[in-house]
Amino acid sequence: MPEIIRSRDTTVFFYGDRQTVTVSDAMLASGWVGGQGVQWANSTVDERLVTYSRGFYGGFLVWGSDERGDDFASSTRQQLVYAYATMFSGGCLISTVAYEQYTYASRIGGGPFVPLVYAPNDTLYLSLRGLWTKEDELTLSGDPQAPCFFVGFVAQVPSFLNGNRLGIQTSM
Amino acid sequence: MNRDRDCVILVKGDAYAVAIDDVLANGGWQGGQGIQWVTPIAVGIPTVTLSTGYYAGFALWGSDEPSDQYVSSTRQFPAYRFLVLGAGGWLISTISYEKYTYLSRVGLGPLVPIGYNAGDRLVFSLRGYWTIEDEWTLSGDPRGVNDYYIGFVAQAPSAVNSYYMSVQVSI
Repeated sequence: MPEIIRSRDTTVFFYGDRQTVTVSDAMLASGWVGGQGVQWANSTVDERLVTYSRGFYGGFLVWGSDERGDDFASSTRQQLVYAYATMFSGGCLISTVAYEQYTYASRIGGGPFVPLVYAPNDTLYLSLRGLWTKEDELTLSGDPQAPCFFVGFVAQVPSFLNGNRLGIQTSM
Repeated sequence: MNRDRDCVILVKGDAYAVAIDDVLANGGWQGGQGIQWVTPIAVGIPTVTLSTGYYAGFALWGSDEPSDQYVSSTRQFPAYRFLVLGAGGWLISTISYEKYTYLSRVGLGPLVPIGYNAGDRLVFSLRGYWTIEDEWTLSGDPRGVNDYYIGFVAQAPSAVNSYYMSVQVSI
């Protein structure tokens, strides 16, 4: 059995487009996981600024703000210090922890969490907190900006074989 | 233009290797044929099977093309259980398109040719060929309308291009 070492939040099998972007104060304050979806935000200066996605997209941040894989290295928390991140877009093939594991309704309700069951070729969106999901949360939440943009497909479902990471073919 | 393979690449997009399932390994495939994601039985690597209307991309090379005969690449894909997937934006010329309407292929009557025109929108058929027909709707598939458009006809098949269809891929 081939071994794929998934030591980071997001493992990139094939990369599409990538660029560096400035991240918002909200993201600097709270951090992000690798694979986090982001969308463009207004800025008062000449910069390309992104913040947490809430259904729209500019891309996803390939590295988390404070991953264990960066500990004890020169890259420790460097993105937070310099207020930037590397954003991927276009067609990528990735494996990530940054996906919704429970349905939107169960996350905002008072009842037990209901797991989201992913299948190959499921259409994916970014959730209201910028994680990959099969649910259109703008529509589910009654947001007037609905629907969410389509951003990819499920390439591999989470299981013990892949460390419960979601394989995604991105299309953004 | 020398068209000696199932799928001729005119402009290249994204390409990467993926694992194949038993359906592909045992049944083979054509160059240019559509493929979609599938859950592997045992191995934890991204794996594809023949498209039934969904898509991950298309196979650049067929599993056993005449052009691969008598060379080291003969049947290497099924032997090592992988293929090279194409996605993103491409311009290709391929034989892997539906030549007859779905209804005439599943019915008992004569085969009715599909007339392609430049600019037609394309989806994958139930067997992973490029087509202008929505075979999910035509077959009563519970998935409903197949609006997973994945390309356009750039050049309709004719005698001048050896009946290859040129496709501008948009995956």
